[in-house]
Amino acid sequence: MLKKLTYLFGALALAFGLWGFYNRFAFGHENAAYGSYVVWGLWVAMYLFFAGCAAGGFMVATLDLLFQIKVFKGTGKAVLWAALVCLGAALLSIWLDLGHLERVWKVYLEGNPRSLVFQMVWGYTIFGVILLITLYLAIYKPQHPFLKVIMWIGLVVALFISGAVGALLGVNAARPFWHIGLFPVQFPVFSLASGAAMLLMVLGLFGPRDDPNRPQQLWVLSVASVVLLVVKLYFMWADYSQSLYGNVPMNVASINQVLYGRYWWAFWILQILIGSLIPIFFLVQPKFARHNGWAGWMGLLMLVGYAVARALIIFPGLTVPELDLLTTAFSGPHLSFDYFPSLMEWAVTAGTVGLAILGYLLGIDYLPLFPKSTKEA
Amino acid sequence: MNKTSAPSTEAAAMLEKYSSEVFAGIVAPALENLDLSALQVSPEASPDVILRMQEELKRALKKKPEERRWVMVIDLRRCIGCHACTIACVAENKLPPGVVYRPVLTEEIGKYPNVSMRFIPRPCMQCDNPPCTPVCPVNATFKNEEGVVVVDYDQCIGCRACITACPYAARTFDFGETYLKNTPDNLPFLFGQSAADGYERNGAAFEYGESIVREKDRSPIGNVRKCHFCLHRVKEGMLPACVTTCIGRATLFGDANDPDSLVSEMIALPNVMRLKEDLGTEPRVYYIL
Repeated sequence: MLKKLTYLFGALALAFGLWGFYNRFAFGHENAAYGSYVVWGLWVAMYLFFAGCAAGGFMVATLDLLFQIKVFKGTGKAVLWAALVCLGAALLSIWLDLGHLERVWKVYLEGNPRSLVFQMVWGYTIFGVILLITLYLAIYKPQHPFLKVIMWIGLVVALFISGAVGALLGVNAARPFWHIGLFPVQFPVFSLASGAAMLLMVLGLFGPRDDPNRPQQLWVLSVASVVLLVVKLYFMWADYSQSLYGNVPMNVASINQVLYGRYWWAFWILQILIGSLIPIFFLVQPKFARHNGWAGWMGLLMLVGYAVARALIIFPGLTVPELDLLTTAFSGPHLSFDYFPSLMEWAVTAGTVGLAILGYLLGIDYLPLFPKSTKEA
Repeated sequence: MNKTSAPSTEAAAMLEKYSSEVFAGIVAPALENLDLSALQVSPEASPDVILRMQEELKRALKKKPEERRWVMVIDLRRCIGCHACTIACVAENKLPPGVVYRPVLTEEIGKYPNVSMRFIPRPCMQCDNPPCTPVCPVNATFKNEEGVVVVDYDQCIGCRACITACPYAARTFDFGETYLKNTPDNLPFLFGQSAADGYERNGAAFEYGESIVREKDRSPIGNVRKCHFCLHRVKEGMLPACVTTCIGRATLFGDANDPDSLVSEMIALPNVMRLKEDLGTEPRVYYIL
């Protein structure tokens, strides 16, 4: 029943998304709410989120397929498929964000290796190939010795690409909210946290119900997810508190927008309450954490929190003017420091999410991702 | 000030010499009864700096491109905040809505009745150490041989990483907007949108020496755009549009490698500053305070 409802939800999201895709291709970026000041919006945030899930999913898959930790036995293929689907969603999001999406080949053939965008495009391409090979081997030739080799390589690449996302933002010396030396260290942790939450959701909501290992798997994953979430919150606390004490005006302005300004509701309600406190409350209690449904839904809430967290890294870094008086210097469309995604942007994101949901469900229906079972969610 | 019966033609000639022709035409009649001999002209305005800079430009163009060092000097004491430079830039480059190369930042200082205004024109700083160029994944933006940061529209993929890297917000993205968007078309006895937008689309600009037709999905739509010191004009011996149009002669342009140039004199003054020097970007735009 849940799977059918999820199919329906994915189909509806995709239907809404088709209008967004049409709008994007017919009118370009004209109907986007981002502009020349807030240059990156919802799609870039979703790219960071999905890319983090993809890298994190691969990291979590190594627990089963590389390190062969007993409690995670049988979970690797399902989360690898989720990682592949997320990678597709990430690349679709960022591709649609380009001004000239037909020129993406130039990054491969006429690229600038010094650019982090270049490094990430190549990194994600290599990562995608590794994911495909790993998934193929894990499903059809699980005893092949190359599986472990490719997983080691994939683990290093996953760390690199998730760290590179942090560096992409961190190298912007002009934006103190992003210019954090530890960003490339933090982002792999964020990715791992996303991967753990994603596996929790996948196992809890779509995994076979009669697996005797499942309650223990969910409990261990719940504890790991909570620990990673707390580490993520600690990183955020460290960044925010130091910035506020440091009192660099542009940095403080960005943080104030998150805590008390235009994005307060997203931070306090979506990221902290729904994405952090509620999952922590339930997942530290074994009776909920061992329960498929509770664990799965809490995994989903954590993912919502992580998606919002990505947006709250991107948006406030751009909504504070580099020069104070820019806000009134010249007026015109797309020259604003206020940002809330437009309907077209939401539609495209809904379509991307819908595609990811449908892709994942088709995978678990037609690929042998879980050990054989008689009873599914 | 003593009032005399100075003829308007004299006033116009005076203003034309020290200001732009358009401004002279507008303002001269209002000055008919003023004694213009009482006007004090600052030393750098005599002879007209425009003529001097044009001569210097011709001299610089005889050198090899890599031997020139184009710089812009903006004398904030002389800027009156008319925004003519912004508009001249928009007109010269036929910039669409939402794209701006040279806004003028306007700051109100003090409280009534002790209020004053400060104006800071902000072109691209043409940094010698630009943060925007290394982030480009396809080498679409770079410093050319004359040291001006340019954008290759046919190479740019529109990722906008350069915009996030610029500390001066000197880059804008062309979203494909037009001034005639949502205006009526096919009205009887009137030129409608499709007839009128030829101005916006055909031969829309001569940036980088190319005649660019503005069409959907074609560059420069979907590209990042920025001030380029009007290189297409400079190449032909003309000063950038913002310099020519500045009625207060606040914006100066020239080759800083020429020790006799006006800009060389100006950037040697003690009251010179550059924006956000602490970032190490080494801007080529200097402000006189």
